[in-house]
Amino acid sequence: MLERGRKKPPRRQAWRPSRRDVLAGAASLALSGRARAVAAPPLRFGLTPVFLNNDLELRDHLGAYLRKATGRPVDLVTRRTYQEITALLISGQLDAAWICGYPFVKFADQLRLVSVPLWRGRPLYQSYLIVGAGRPVTEARALRNEVHAFSDPDSNSGFLVTSALLAEWGETPASFFRESFFTYGHRNVIRAVGSGLADSGSVDGYVWEVVREVEPELAAQTKVVRRSEWLGFPPIAAPLRGMTPERLTVLRQTFADMAADPTGREVLRLLRLDGFTEGSPALFASILAKVETLERQG
Amino acid sequence: MMIWQRMSRIPITLRVPALVVLLMIAVSVVTSERVVTRLIDTQERHLRSLAAAYLDGLSSSLLPHVLRGDIWEVFDVLDRARDRYDALHPLLTVVGDADDLVLAASDPRSAPSRKPLPDEFAGLTPGDMAIAADSGRALVRRTLTYQGRTIGSITAKLDISHLLAERRDVTATLILSNALLTLILAGAGYLLVRRMVRPVRILSDHLREGSAGEVRPIPRSRFPSQGNDFRQLFESYNSLVEAETERRSLAMHMAEEERLAALGRLASGMAHEINNPLGGLFNALDTLKQHGDTPSARTTAISIVERGLVGIRDVVRAALATYRPGLTTRPLAPGDLEDLALLIRPEVRRKRLDFHWTNTVGGAFAVPGAPVRQLVLNVLINACNAAGETGRIEAAAWVEAGNLMIEVGDSGPGMPAEAREQLVGSPGAGTGGGLGLWIVRRHIDGLGGRIEIERSDLGGALVRMIIPAQREGLSDAA
Repeated sequence: MLERGRKKPPRRQAWRPSRRDVLAGAASLALSGRARAVAAPPLRFGLTPVFLNNDLELRDHLGAYLRKATGRPVDLVTRRTYQEITALLISGQLDAAWICGYPFVKFADQLRLVSVPLWRGRPLYQSYLIVGAGRPVTEARALRNEVHAFSDPDSNSGFLVTSALLAEWGETPASFFRESFFTYGHRNVIRAVGSGLADSGSVDGYVWEVVREVEPELAAQTKVVRRSEWLGFPPIAAPLRGMTPERLTVLRQTFADMAADPTGREVLRLLRLDGFTEGSPALFASILAKVETLERQG
Repeated sequence: MMIWQRMSRIPITLRVPALVVLLMIAVSVVTSERVVTRLIDTQERHLRSLAAAYLDGLSSSLLPHVLRGDIWEVFDVLDRARDRYDALHPLLTVVGDADDLVLAASDPRSAPSRKPLPDEFAGLTPGDMAIAADSGRALVRRTLTYQGRTIGSITAKLDISHLLAERRDVTATLILSNALLTLILAGAGYLLVRRMVRPVRILSDHLREGSAGEVRPIPRSRFPSQGNDFRQLFESYNSLVEAETERRSLAMHMAEEERLAALGRLASGMAHEINNPLGGLFNALDTLKQHGDTPSARTTAISIVERGLVGIRDVVRAALATYRPGLTTRPLAPGDLEDLALLIRPEVRRKRLDFHWTNTVGGAFAVPGAPVRQLVLNVLINACNAAGETGRIEAAAWVEAGNLMIEVGDSGPGMPAEAREQLVGSPGAGTGGGLGLWIVRRHIDGLGGRIEIERSDLGGALVRMIIPAQREGLSDAA
């Protein structure tokens, strides 16, 4: 799937639009105020529960920024699972969505990378294995026969990374854990482990770090026993079908300019992100490798 | 019955407040029991309806997740419900599956998933509420049914310690306020009854003083206010006291008059006694004047003068000894009794009585002299009156077993019953004996002696006075 992704036009070409493209984009932005009133279709932007999907303040600011930056009305679409958002994105019912690296790799032939967030200056993050704070566990193998909380079956950090690790050991979640379940939210994984509902959990390292900052008492109920290698940060992707270079340019510029706009900066502040970069599908090579590990296991 | 008797011995000022306290305690116990029972009923009803609302709310949210066996969603529902039902204080809510294994609990550490329900939840009937008052917990259970099948259950452990604390508070408040009320009513009862019985107390104090000897009227300042029932009683009492005082003063007055009359009789007797030898004395003086030169006539005349003067001197001495005041504490001297014969002599002569006097008391005897003389003199005068003209009187005095014994017998018709009653009856009884006997009775009582009355050999009455010797209180001054 990544191969197909690599066959796409060189990124530089896509990220460096011609002067005509830029002018056209600028014109469309400038006209958008009037055009919206006439017929501008809303920008449908999907949000997976990567992060605090109940954070209404973040949604308000993101919507406001996207409206301002694209000059179009914005529909922020959220669903309970990654799968639903991915399906909407691939079927063209969304213009773009913030998805996880795992579905991006899985559907690389149907998706176009728009932008990758920068966290602590890099478009990278880790997957954490967490356990209850008071437990004496120090390594992942000690979690055998326990109750484990995953985030989402289509989450890289919340499922794929742990599953791939178990596959390397010749195990599956069903064989290794006594019981496992999905909470459909990284924050929920922290809640499940913190409350004792699950003995351990697979969680997005970025989310865990941000929760530790904004809800220290929740994160303090858990501790990290394993950090994965650095992996490509969940990207903004758009459906390949019907995507024009102009639209792609506008989208990329929208996210690239976020740090320069006060509302955008507020969004970034809430997300604890530094900004967005165009990124490269190569960032997700290690995730692809994990997918292949799982596929080999069958 | 015993308690009632004991109660009746307690002063009424305490009895009434004690009854008020008992009554109030009984009323308090009954009302408190009713209030607390009603409170418990209300609390339980309230708790049941709250618990039912809680379980209803949870049931509808949980049903789809329990159907799917979704551990996380079940936990999520329970976790979010925790803050919404704060009034119910749920401590632990456990959702079980159809096999009674825990699906998820609000506190997964207390009830881990896929493990059997906690022991404390076993045996709980669905729809019922089990209250453990000692631990301050209540358990409720609800079965989850879908399309007629049981797919699981919700069991909740509720903290009812705040309800129990409220019960304790209400009970304590009831006890405290009732105790305070009881105390106030008891105090008011005490003051009220005290005020009500104060006239009775004043009256009984005066009656007690009266029986001790001194009868005093109740001062007007201590009379109850106008219109009080006791005022009339006080008036009656004072009238009674007034009448008694008058009676006493009359009796004293009459006694004094009698004494003066007796004195007058004695004085006239004395004058007669002095007058008797005077004729002889004057004769002797004439003899001396006419025949003073004759030695025999002179000697005879002087002897007559001497005997006459001695007789006069004796009479005067006896009268002095009897009526000189201030001699009541002097012990009885032998001459005192001899003087009596002298004092009675005029009366004896006047009535030409045959009087015999035998005195074997040798030396002084430890009884007050004056009262004894008064006593015996009155008995003798009484005997003289009883014996009539030319009657006979026999009197004797001796000492026997430490007592001074004096007997006076006469040849009269005997002592009337009233006089006998006055001398030997209970104090104050009998008034028909005359004041002489009243004085006799007063003296014999004052000397601590007694009187016996028998029939005399002479035919009349025999009065025996027995006067015990006194150990102390007498001066030896004669």
